[in-house]
Amino acid sequence: MNLITKVVSYIIIIFIIISLNFFLPRMMPAGPLSGLTSSDKPVLEQYTNYMASLMHGDLGWSTSKNAPVWDVLMRSLKWTLLLVGTSTAIYVIVGILSGAVSAWKKGKKTDVGLLVLLISMASFPPFFLGMLFIIFLGWKLDLFPRFGAQTLFIDYSTPFGVVLDILHHLTLPAATLTLTSIGVIYLLTRNSMLNVLGEDYILTARAKGLSEWYIVRRHALKNAMLPIITLVALIVGLVITGTIFVETVFAYPGVGMLVADAISAHDYPLLQGAFLIIALAILAVNFIADMIYVHLDPRVKQE
Amino acid sequence: MTEDLIVFLKKYKTSRIGLIGLGILIFFVITAVFAPYIAPYDPDQRYKSTEHPNSAHLLGTNQVGQDILSELIYGTRVSLFITLFASIVSAFIGTSLGLIAGYFKRFDFFLMRIVDLFLTIPRLPLIIIIAAFMRPSVWNLIFVFALFEWSITARIIRSEVLTLKNRPYVDAARMFGARDFHILGRHILPNVVPLVVVQLVLVSRYIILAESGLSFIGLGDPTAKSWGMMLHDAFEYPTIFISDIWMWWMLPAGLCIVFTILSLTFIGYALEELVNPRLRRMTIL
Amino acid sequence: MSILKLTHLKVHFPTQDGVVKAVNTVDLEIAHGERLGLIGETGCGKTVLGMSVMRLLQLATKVEGKIVYKGRDILRLSEEEMRKIRGKEIAMILQNPTTSLNPVLKVGDQIAEAIQLHQGLNKREAREKAVEMLESVKISSPEKRASEYPHEFSGGMKERAMIAMALACNPSLIIADEPTKGLDVTIKMQIIKLMKEVTKQKSMLFITHDLGAAAEICDNIAVMYAGELVEYAKTTDIFKNPMHPYTRGFLNSLPGMGLKPIRGMSPSLIDLPTGCRFYPRCDHASAKCKIEHPEMVEIKNGYSVRCFLYT
Repeated sequence: MNLITKVVSYIIIIFIIISLNFFLPRMMPAGPLSGLTSSDKPVLEQYTNYMASLMHGDLGWSTSKNAPVWDVLMRSLKWTLLLVGTSTAIYVIVGILSGAVSAWKKGKKTDVGLLVLLISMASFPPFFLGMLFIIFLGWKLDLFPRFGAQTLFIDYSTPFGVVLDILHHLTLPAATLTLTSIGVIYLLTRNSMLNVLGEDYILTARAKGLSEWYIVRRHALKNAMLPIITLVALIVGLVITGTIFVETVFAYPGVGMLVADAISAHDYPLLQGAFLIIALAILAVNFIADMIYVHLDPRVKQE
Repeated sequence: MTEDLIVFLKKYKTSRIGLIGLGILIFFVITAVFAPYIAPYDPDQRYKSTEHPNSAHLLGTNQVGQDILSELIYGTRVSLFITLFASIVSAFIGTSLGLIAGYFKRFDFFLMRIVDLFLTIPRLPLIIIIAAFMRPSVWNLIFVFALFEWSITARIIRSEVLTLKNRPYVDAARMFGARDFHILGRHILPNVVPLVVVQLVLVSRYIILAESGLSFIGLGDPTAKSWGMMLHDAFEYPTIFISDIWMWWMLPAGLCIVFTILSLTFIGYALEELVNPRLRRMTIL
Repeated sequence: MSILKLTHLKVHFPTQDGVVKAVNTVDLEIAHGERLGLIGETGCGKTVLGMSVMRLLQLATKVEGKIVYKGRDILRLSEEEMRKIRGKEIAMILQNPTTSLNPVLKVGDQIAEAIQLHQGLNKREAREKAVEMLESVKISSPEKRASEYPHEFSGGMKERAMIAMALACNPSLIIADEPTKGLDVTIKMQIIKLMKEVTKQKSMLFITHDLGAAAEICDNIAVMYAGELVEYAKTTDIFKNPMHPYTRGFLNSLPGMGLKPIRGMSPSLIDLPTGCRFYPRCDHASAKCKIEHPEMVEIKNGYSVRCFLYT
């Protein structure tokens, strides 16, 4: 698949998602619009109106927040980006490193220990782990704030104070998101690395007298990363959706919490807006991952 | 085929992780099956609300007075039922479509485009939004999960079928005039079964996680409470974190989810090691 | 003194189906400057033997006996000491260059890294040396080729690159594992000619099932069957007057000699028969051969055979 085909297929999918957003509520038999659709205009006209307003950034009006959906989303987006960004940076690095070490020391205590630890952590639903953190680290030990992204109604003398406060509030949600996501990358890296370490060219590298860690670093890692990058899309998708639950538990005012709020308030325009942003974000990550893969694998680059 | 099964079971017995996982799962399945005999009360029956654990209610009662222990035990039924049903349906759809796409070239391109579509569209957000627009019920949840989980299975099965299709014994069978369905059923399907089983386990694991999450944000069925729904109720209660109530209301349900997922993860890990020998050891020859 | 001496070498692998006895009490010596061919069919244990000298086998493998290189028993060395020998003192040309080269690294880099490691050159110097090596194995435009990836090389070129990689640090002993396997006949001849030239001053263990290739390059030939040596002689003697029935059968199965296959199948290395390993397929066998296991006996100077026909 060359670049143009790829871009075209992504555009098609974006188009489908946007259209789904429009058609879904109208398709559901017991859905919210079944009673109150203004069916005086034909569907096609409604659809074109919808597309047109999208182009202008008009995503409708949020009934629960009493503001344009776009504004509500933009207000919350920065917190989600902060949360997802921080967590992703940490768990990618830690996950890949631990996966590589585990594969290298397969069968020994390090491997078994890491395996048990990370598999167990990955078995915690993010909201449950979050609740446990709130109880133990938030209330019992009073180490971290229990909700929100910032302490309100406090004036900080320096911007540094603000940053520190934000980081303080970020810690528990980020920790929850990171810990529940590491398992996937860890296992994938470990499996991929084990596959690679069984290849003939690793034997060649050993025959040249290179040290094990050098081999893992220089010969194995790059090859092991290739299949992982194709799955990055899946992984980040999982993380972004995990945010929905983590933000809800910690009342962290990001896009994820908007989803939960919108559901309980039956605020469908807001829900659709949030869904759109989340879906597009995941697609964007997919796309970037595809581009990175092409860049990394010399066999593909030739085409 | 039965000898393959026996060999497989013997090999599975050597995996400690696999046996632990299987043991935990069996425990939950038995609890689900015998729920009416194990649970002290009918989970819908209301008693005094928000009672602390006492001799009558070992885990106390929730905000409307239902016995939490009974909810927990019956919750096993709901959670496992949704998971098993949805994963079996999606495995069935995925395997069938994978077999067709892999074997019959004329359907391949079309089916794979659809699979690609389903795979690229972010699953959980779409599941959430569809569920949000539907009435909360167990069957709707099953429907929504089955709708999306078949695509990975389809792709994996299709790859395997493509490899198997080119094996010499398939050509030989064709030369002898065997019809397509016969080949599919007799030669290809048995080889594909191990992969399907692995997929079943992995998909189930995902569905439990997703279902608990969906229920937690309020999309679950309030009449058939899964563990996720219990956590949702607990979370809504204002003093859940400050008082000790979380210990009997929140912790047991959460731990049940964790252990179920853990068991499926262990089983999936053991199965994958069996199916892909490279994960077990590195051979030189 | 010999550069390499194997004494009572035994290599066993535990597997799910039983213990694979790949190498069973092999005694072998390679003199300085000698090029020894190790002949045998696929699965007879010759690759395992080569790998055991490099200690590249898995940890679960049981290796017994002595492997003495330049006076040191390398089986007793620590892993770190062994790494100093690999690539520098003893180099191995592994089978199947297509899978033995890392697809995501440039060919030149793969040659240069060994040079950097063992000869202490910096990156640029090592790179220059790598280009020189490519030139020495007769790859045209070596400068350009060094910056290319393995998939851009043809089969023959990949084999040359493997040879260059092995020679890069000027090892004293080379172990070549099937360097002509899977190549076209014309390419095969080129590779054989190349190997003959570049290994002139070196000692070599040339592992192959291609007797013709071995005949071109090697001074002596050792024949291996079912994990043990059955004949050892000068190359000319093996062809003129093969002794062991297996060697004779092997020669007769060559295209040039009539393509007459040896009846029966190669034995499994897990369930080895008690008597002579070749007994089931031997046309000259006697009752003794079924029960007793013959020893390797030196009949003439430099000529040994393991067979009751001669002992």
